[in-house]
Amino acid sequence: MRDLGVHALLFFFAGSVIVIIGTLFSETDDARAKAILPRRLLRFFLGSLLVLGVMLICEHTLASVR
Amino acid sequence: MGRLKTGLIAFVVIEALYALGLYLSGGMFLEYLPPEMRGPYAGLLTPEVGNLGALLVQMSQFGYGVGHPRPYPALMDLGTTLTAASGLLNMIVLSSAHLGARRSQPCLGPGPSPSVAAGASLILPGLGQFLQGRRGRGILIALLLVSLFAVGCILGDGANLDRERHFYYWAGQFMLGLPAFVTEFSFGHPRLSLEIPYADGGVVLGCVAGMLNVLVMLDAFHYAEHGPEAGPDPSAAGSEVNERGGGQAA
Repeated sequence: MRDLGVHALLFFFAGSVIVIIGTLFSETDDARAKAILPRRLLRFFLGSLLVLGVMLICEHTLASVR
Repeated sequence: MGRLKTGLIAFVVIEALYALGLYLSGGMFLEYLPPEMRGPYAGLLTPEVGNLGALLVQMSQFGYGVGHPRPYPALMDLGTTLTAASGLLNMIVLSSAHLGARRSQPCLGPGPSPSVAAGASLILPGLGQFLQGRRGRGILIALLLVSLFAVGCILGDGANLDRERHFYYWAGQFMLGLPAFVTEFSFGHPRLSLEIPYADGGVVLGCVAGMLNVLVMLDAFHYAEHGPEAGPDPSAAGSEVNERGGGQAA
């Protein structure tokens, strides 16, 4: 659990940059890129939160040393 | 392709860069690699591979050194940066030659030619897009990639910028161009006395920023070649592009 917040923040920051650059790469038209970006970011955040939750549950139940 | 003068100038500049870098570094950049990572193909993941002939000459003449550690020349960092820049510059020239060979019609995008646009984004992330008139996109790209790189440098305390410490990650960071170059020569070779808690994170974020800039370069190249896409209907877009000269749809 140590530094969980820092790790999550860094992951979300780096992931957001990757999603935005990926969207700009796949859409050469700025207006279309702007239109699809919110949905992609939302999907990324929700998916990441889901994985984060599963990993925390797994750590708590299977790998906790306390 | 009938561009003898351009070819000769490119050859002289690129090989002179490599030769100067080789002179300054004493041909020792492959000695940065630890012994267990040395092999005949170890140079393939370096930026120098863009100038493959020169890299092969260097490997045959200098190899991995004399078999025992020895001090690096005073201008080693500058030398290895020049050899790496020679490789990247040759990749830009390669892309220009490839484009000229496969495309008979003029490019459709505004601004500089595809290779120059990609090269501009290599020098500064987003600069190619900015020169194409896509200023908002260029500024957004620059802000995102430079800030990601800056966070990496802060986490890594500048040690992520040292090619001797992070040989292959350095190659990824080098793709960010001028920001990586300036930061390395300003803060990139600190003397370390303590463990850096987030050193790994710093190296990864810096390298990701550089690798994402490759996508940015490809975006600038594609836009300069094909221009703005037509409407949202893919079939309509394809037909229009074909009508304009046989280019492929995005």
